[in-house]
Amino acid sequence: MRFLVLLFALILSACGKEPLVQTKSYVFGTLVDISIYGETEDKAHEVTTHILQDFQRLHHQYHAWQSDSELSKLNQTFANGKRPVEISPELAQMLMQAQVLSKKSQGLFNPAIGSLIGAWGFQRDEFTPIEINDLAIQKLVQSNPQMSDIVIKGNTAFSKNPAVKLDLGGYAKGYALDLALVELQKKGVKNALVNIGGNIIALGQHGDKPWRVGIQHPRQPKPMATLDLPSGWAIGTSGDYQRYFEKDGKRYCHIIDPRSGYPAQSTQAVTVLIPASPQAGVLSDVASKPIFLSAPDQRANAAKAMGVEHYLVVDAEGKVMLSASMNQRVHWLAKPATIVMQ
Amino acid sequence: MASAFRWSKPLLGDVLVILVGLIFVTCLFKALWHNEHAAKLQIRLGDKIYATYSLDQNRNIDIQGPIGITRIVIANGKARFASSPCPNQYCVHQGWLSHKGQAAICLPNQVSLELLGGEKPFDSLNY
Repeated sequence: MRFLVLLFALILSACGKEPLVQTKSYVFGTLVDISIYGETEDKAHEVTTHILQDFQRLHHQYHAWQSDSELSKLNQTFANGKRPVEISPELAQMLMQAQVLSKKSQGLFNPAIGSLIGAWGFQRDEFTPIEINDLAIQKLVQSNPQMSDIVIKGNTAFSKNPAVKLDLGGYAKGYALDLALVELQKKGVKNALVNIGGNIIALGQHGDKPWRVGIQHPRQPKPMATLDLPSGWAIGTSGDYQRYFEKDGKRYCHIIDPRSGYPAQSTQAVTVLIPASPQAGVLSDVASKPIFLSAPDQRANAAKAMGVEHYLVVDAEGKVMLSASMNQRVHWLAKPATIVMQ
Repeated sequence: MASAFRWSKPLLGDVLVILVGLIFVTCLFKALWHNEHAAKLQIRLGDKIYATYSLDQNRNIDIQGPIGITRIVIANGKARFASSPCPNQYCVHQGWLSHKGQAAICLPNQVSLELLGGEKPFDSLNY
């Protein structure tokens, strides 16, 4: 009888699922998907809950258009003059990191253009067409808000330019990924995959295989390729297909060119793959933007400036261009008609 | 009246039959009981696929059907009929759909919703 019970338990465990615990929830106005492999369900849930609480905190603290967030209050003091105001050590660190990256991108990654993003109606939970006010946009561009206008001393900050209005929408999700990775490692988790609104970071692997991610097709409701994400690596895509509105047959996406003040029109999607580093998450979020905004002949330079080796571009006509190192890593599910190597 | 049936100690064969039955049912339950959250909403109008939307982004979709405009709402990973020109409003009363395989149909206006999940060749999607 004892033998039978043992056999029963054995067979049951064989037909059970592998030790993958996946949790989906909503933070940062998007889907957050955390997979933990090889831990007990209780442990996985405990760690996931902890990470989600961190994400919630980041979301509220650095929300760009909720007036009671730390970021909104900072924006208010920026607008009111040059009086330094105390900010959290974390925000100070984030802003300094964003300043470095903004400089590297020659201002194409510019989280100081919150007013422009708001003017285009992208500081809302849903995106409906707006009345495009060319004059207002022109004025906002002329006010020239830059990350370098922000002066951070210790834990205080002020802006030399009252037009600076921070919107960390292109940075915070990446920052959250880096934070999640640290948290997972601190809790002793060996294998996990964290996806915040499409930006993904990997830790360890999925059983005996690396974590595998799909890359969304920008115009079809399916992935166009997959690739294996080694431990510590991150992947991020900037696309014109998630946050956009259409007006008079034209698509206006949420990625706004700080130089012109208008949404980028020459690209459908840019995917960057970032090797393991303490800021892999941030780079996966940030580094795709300068490439997305660059003219076709400048994309390779923009990638280089951001230190990105692996990248993939789908241009306005749907033509795919990718770096040689990226080409070695992608497996096409729907092979595009034209692939150009860069 | 004395019963002809009498309890006796179960034989090895009895135990095996019960065990195999239990294992079979448990495996069936695990294999067929879908409780997965869905990833996409597929909308059909008439006999055609009208559109497939990700459930990640909140949006309202207005569809012109044979008897009027049906409004479908996607919010927080769920989808539902929000309003419909049909007389009985069964579709609206179906409420939110959130799990893979769930469906709602509005026969009068020929609009149907189905939530699709992920039998996916990857662990997570980059978008």
